[in-house]
Amino acid sequence: MTNTSSSPPSQSSFNIHRFANPRTFLRFASKIQSWVTISAIIFLVIGVIWGLCFSPADWQQGDSVRIMYIHVPMAILASGGYFALAACALCSLIWKHPLADLAAGEIGPIGAVITALCLITGSLWGKPMWGTWWVWDARLTSVLVLFFLYLGHITLLHAFDNQQKGYKAAAILALVGVFDLPIIKFSVNWWHTLHQPSTFSIIHAPAMSLSMIWPLIFCFMGFALGFIALVCMQLRAAILERQVRHFLLNE
Amino acid sequence: MKRKTKRLWIILGSMASFAIAIVLILSAFSSNLVYFKAPSQLINHPTVKGTTIRLGGMVLANSLHYSHKDQTPTAQFQVTDGQAAIEVHYTGILPDLFREGQSVIAIGTLDKNNIFTASEVLAKHDETYMPKEVADALRKSGKWDPKYGPPPDAATWDHMTQPK
Amino acid sequence: MRIFLFFIHREIQLSLKYGTDSLGTILFFILIASLFPLALGPEPQLLRQIAPGILWVCVLLAALLPIERLFNHEYEDGSLEQLLLLGLPPYGVAFAKIVGHWLTTGMPLLIASVPLALMFNFPYHAIPLFLFSLMIGTGCLSLLGGMATCIALGARRSAFLLPLLTFPLLTPIIIFGAMITDAQLHALNYMPHLQLLGACFALALPLCPFVAGAGLKLAVE
Repeated sequence: MTNTSSSPPSQSSFNIHRFANPRTFLRFASKIQSWVTISAIIFLVIGVIWGLCFSPADWQQGDSVRIMYIHVPMAILASGGYFALAACALCSLIWKHPLADLAAGEIGPIGAVITALCLITGSLWGKPMWGTWWVWDARLTSVLVLFFLYLGHITLLHAFDNQQKGYKAAAILALVGVFDLPIIKFSVNWWHTLHQPSTFSIIHAPAMSLSMIWPLIFCFMGFALGFIALVCMQLRAAILERQVRHFLLNE
Repeated sequence: MKRKTKRLWIILGSMASFAIAIVLILSAFSSNLVYFKAPSQLINHPTVKGTTIRLGGMVLANSLHYSHKDQTPTAQFQVTDGQAAIEVHYTGILPDLFREGQSVIAIGTLDKNNIFTASEVLAKHDETYMPKEVADALRKSGKWDPKYGPPPDAATWDHMTQPK
Repeated sequence: MRIFLFFIHREIQLSLKYGTDSLGTILFFILIASLFPLALGPEPQLLRQIAPGILWVCVLLAALLPIERLFNHEYEDGSLEQLLLLGLPPYGVAFAKIVGHWLTTGMPLLIASVPLALMFNFPYHAIPLFLFSLMIGTGCLSLLGGMATCIALGARRSAFLLPLLTFPLLTPIIIFGAMITDAQLHALNYMPHLQLLGACFALALPLCPFVAGAGLKLAVE
């Protein structure tokens, strides 16, 4: 994250004792970082190889079904990432926690990339299966809206001369955007359009054979842990950057 | 009006507004939202001829055949919702998932003889994922034929495919 | 309440004073809407089919054109702080401004859309419902657009930023709005779409001024 736009006066109002908590976070994060990263890589390698090479082909989709092992984790993480972003926004608005601001700033770009990947893999899957790259059905449109919400959040965050104002405005926007999450979740049930309904639900057994569920779970765990590892790494870098900048400017 | 009473009114007004919104959303989703028409609807309530219609339904078993018109194959099949069936003609490449028994959405127009000329056919696949071997085994055992409807529940696959 | 009315009165006076700007919005609407038949060809059948979508998009563009001016002048010359000190809470100020925006752009756009609907070969019986849905829709546009302006107030790249912020928020409005008229023209049941549009309005009505007020407070901090 680059904060080159932040002007010196806004930095001098930055208070070092507010960073007491980020310091503990830093210690905690550097401890778990390597564990999370390594387990993410292990899960990913197992899940991807299992899913792409050894899991059975679907009876009607054939080998194209393997896109699922990338697409489904991306889709879940896109919504989940936005949920985390909104939670950070809430923390930063209520408790004015600086860590939440920084975390929101780091989740945004990663979430946007994941949403873009979800859209791209979905489109690659849609062409052979549905017969079209893109349809304007409710699920696809609402995920596209989610992508724009991420982009808006990133842009707004960096659009202010005063970085603190940027964090606050972006937090407000992130909370407003939560309206899209239930729409994404329920769009396949409310509007019976092209995208298939969810395979997994709480009340029914999943409509998928176990030989496909396991690699999917591994892939999902891998991508989710990878997401956490990335955010964690970025967040540590952002905190360190803040501290270095603070020391350089004030002492 | 005092400041506090004013605030109370604003909160009450907001609550009422939210309540209205919830009632509206619930009533909107309880009446069925249709983006495509079922064959029986289309036959019982015909629309103005020539308007673009989205027709949704299942491809009728044993109804698919091809006819050749100037070298390009035209797929002819019937789309049904269990009560009525409509003949659909489509020239072009059908999606991979297209088969008899599959849910499809056809976009096109209905002509005088109740023949639907589609400009686009989309295959809607369901949420079931099943390995090829399981599907073959189910078909062999005669428990399920994909031509006639959606596959059985995933929990039953194992004992259904056991050879006896 | 008196201050609230004063705000709306002031907004209308301002728009009368800068009459060319207000007229420009209407003119912009009529111009872009009449470009479509020129580009797509004048077939009445085709025009009737795409008219709801085109009119909705044009109304959206035209209503959002002046939304940037809603607070920017007052923010830049510092009078926004004075306005906030008049005794109305920030969400009151934001709400008054939004109502003012609807009265000065939403309503004229509604009136201007009647002749355009006729030019697009709308059947007469469809026009009342179209206007009614457009009325709710422009209300939502004013609320959501006003909210986005308030959040982005004081940002550097506002001109590029605002469309990016408002587009995702406006998609439900434009989808449901265009579907109402579309459903009516195709003799389908339009009530669910109308109810959903109404629900959007009922949700936006209390929420948007509140969020916009938070944005205003943030801007003058």
